[in-house]
Amino acid sequence: MDNHSSLRTQRHPHLQQQHPTSAYLDILSTLASPKSFLFNHQRPKPPPPKSPTSHPVASPTMDKAQQPSSFQQLEKLGEGTYATVFKGRNRQTGELVALKEIHLDSEEGTPSTAIREISLMKELKHESIVSLYDVIHTENKLMLVFEYMDKDLKKYMDTRGDRGQLDQATIKSFMHQLLKGIAFCHENRVLHRDLKPQNLLINKKGQLKLGDFGLARAFGIPVNTFSNEVVTLWYRAPDVLLGSRTYNTSIDIWSAGCIMAELYTGRPLFPGTTNEDQLQKIFRLMGTPSERSWPGISQLPEYKPNFHVYATQDLGLILPQIDPLGLDLLNRMLQLRPEMRVSAHDALQHPWFHDLPQMQAQLQQQQQQQMSGYGGLVASQQAY
Amino acid sequence: MAANYWASTQRRHWLFTKERLADLRESFRERDMAAHSQFPLPDQRLLNIYFSQQLIKLGKRMSTRQQALATAQVYIKRFYTKNEIRHTNPYLVVTTAFYLACKMEECPQHIRFVVAEARNFWPEFIAPDVSKLGECEFALISEMNSQLIVHHPYRTLSELQPELSLTSDEVALAWSVINDHYLTDLPLLYPPHVIAVMAIIVAVVFKPSQTSFHGTAAPLAGAMRDGGMNILTALGDKNGAGPPPRIQKLVGWLAESEVDIRAVIECTQELVSLYEIWENYSEKHCKELLGRMVKSKNLDK
Repeated sequence: MDNHSSLRTQRHPHLQQQHPTSAYLDILSTLASPKSFLFNHQRPKPPPPKSPTSHPVASPTMDKAQQPSSFQQLEKLGEGTYATVFKGRNRQTGELVALKEIHLDSEEGTPSTAIREISLMKELKHESIVSLYDVIHTENKLMLVFEYMDKDLKKYMDTRGDRGQLDQATIKSFMHQLLKGIAFCHENRVLHRDLKPQNLLINKKGQLKLGDFGLARAFGIPVNTFSNEVVTLWYRAPDVLLGSRTYNTSIDIWSAGCIMAELYTGRPLFPGTTNEDQLQKIFRLMGTPSERSWPGISQLPEYKPNFHVYATQDLGLILPQIDPLGLDLLNRMLQLRPEMRVSAHDALQHPWFHDLPQMQAQLQQQQQQQMSGYGGLVASQQAY
Repeated sequence: MAANYWASTQRRHWLFTKERLADLRESFRERDMAAHSQFPLPDQRLLNIYFSQQLIKLGKRMSTRQQALATAQVYIKRFYTKNEIRHTNPYLVVTTAFYLACKMEECPQHIRFVVAEARNFWPEFIAPDVSKLGECEFALISEMNSQLIVHHPYRTLSELQPELSLTSDEVALAWSVINDHYLTDLPLLYPPHVIAVMAIIVAVVFKPSQTSFHGTAAPLAGAMRDGGMNILTALGDKNGAGPPPRIQKLVGWLAESEVDIRAVIECTQELVSLYEIWENYSEKHCKELLGRMVKSKNLDK
């Protein structure tokens, strides 16, 4: 209890022996961030335009202004563990939205996952992150109103791609947006922890956004251990699979690497069934790590000295469609050792993205041609 | 904690001016004069001391981290900028803020356990029905517009420790000062880094000397006032012989940093006056006034 101490009540010498030092040292030793966030607080940023309505009390907040009845509930889009998602329509504007209805449980109050998601989404506003428009409280349920996205990446690949495979330009554009979203989260000291195609949402404009922050956490809070029960198995980083509880931003990069490979092949890269199977599938391709290639690995709880020893394979062999630059970036993301993995910020600077603007222009042209179709033909005939 | 303070909801929606806060409280009084005259309550800071002690009691058995208690204290403050305390059951609000803060800071406690623990301390104010806590949690989230992420000064303190080569004693003192600032309105008035800098100055400059620290708070408040003069002098006269090198280093750092020094000084004064008013604190008095209010208005039902 020593770190609850008050200056005012520190009267007795023996109490002063119990200073928060130990708690404090814990904090220092567990700061998860790879780079220093020192003075993050103090860099003056231009203050956002302050309107009198932004005051929490001066005006009724948006959250309360709208009733659930202001949205027409359309078809069910999906069901999660703690929520059901419906398509909805704003009765006033006609705008489509996604309505996430949270089930309340008398034994748990408002689910922690929901609380985490809502509070993080209130802070994270970015073009590559799905927007939370509103939170509507009614008698016994909570409804989150999200920006509407047409499909998740999984469905997109099933319907759009050639047996799930996507074209180069789309892959590059999606990866760039994915990494931008991740970089933004990480700059804001948030780990997503559950990146997978089902949680990446795509709209008709070809935008990709990160959604479902139910497992996300703030890694700014100094804590000793993170829960290691996160991230869907297939996209889970080897350090997490090995039981590391001091993981950091690099776990999201591993997931992004798995997703990149999947965009090329249309199939999950490491479709493991159990924790051990998942590790084995990873090692079979990436090579079995050892104390020499990954100092400290033998200290991890799930490490077995008798792991089957595999040699490292060339990722290019299973991804014949990938170009050398793309392969280089992928290899930097899929490093077994977490500290060797590229950061989202650096990945965005990778030369593979240098021709993105040209490719996007081409992509847009293609889309326009596809969309105008017959009209385009008429125009060209008239040109004669 | 998470996300960037400068873009945070804390900065955009939960930072008040002193005047604004005073207006809000005055408007509560005007809206319900009768309740205010019928149920006088102690100074807000004394109430805060009482609430904080109740929170520590609650947290003790569950060995809750200080950060969760700090978050709970901020929730209570935010909630009472929107609600008149005389229309609430403060014991339920304190318990709920605790329960919600534990969820947010990832040290969740089971609802039954929290209710049982709270009933252990205040059986006459907390109903055995756990759904009450669930409902109150809902209200708390709603009143705070789901803006639940709180940035605390502890982080800045740990970040500045190596930069200012603070000793572990100084860090411990600064930590205690940060704990104390939750007893004032400061968390609603200033950004966390200003508070952290203030706490560091108090720890380094005033260094409420360990030996002379047995008595009441008065000498401490006095020491802080004198120390305050010290640092003010030092800031005005950078080349003078002035204070010892340790303090000069801090002053030099302060001058170079972009921290709002005036705000830091105002925070220090706020803290001084907290320690002065603390002399009048009586747990029994707070308990009686709150109990009378809750019971006669049936707020516990």
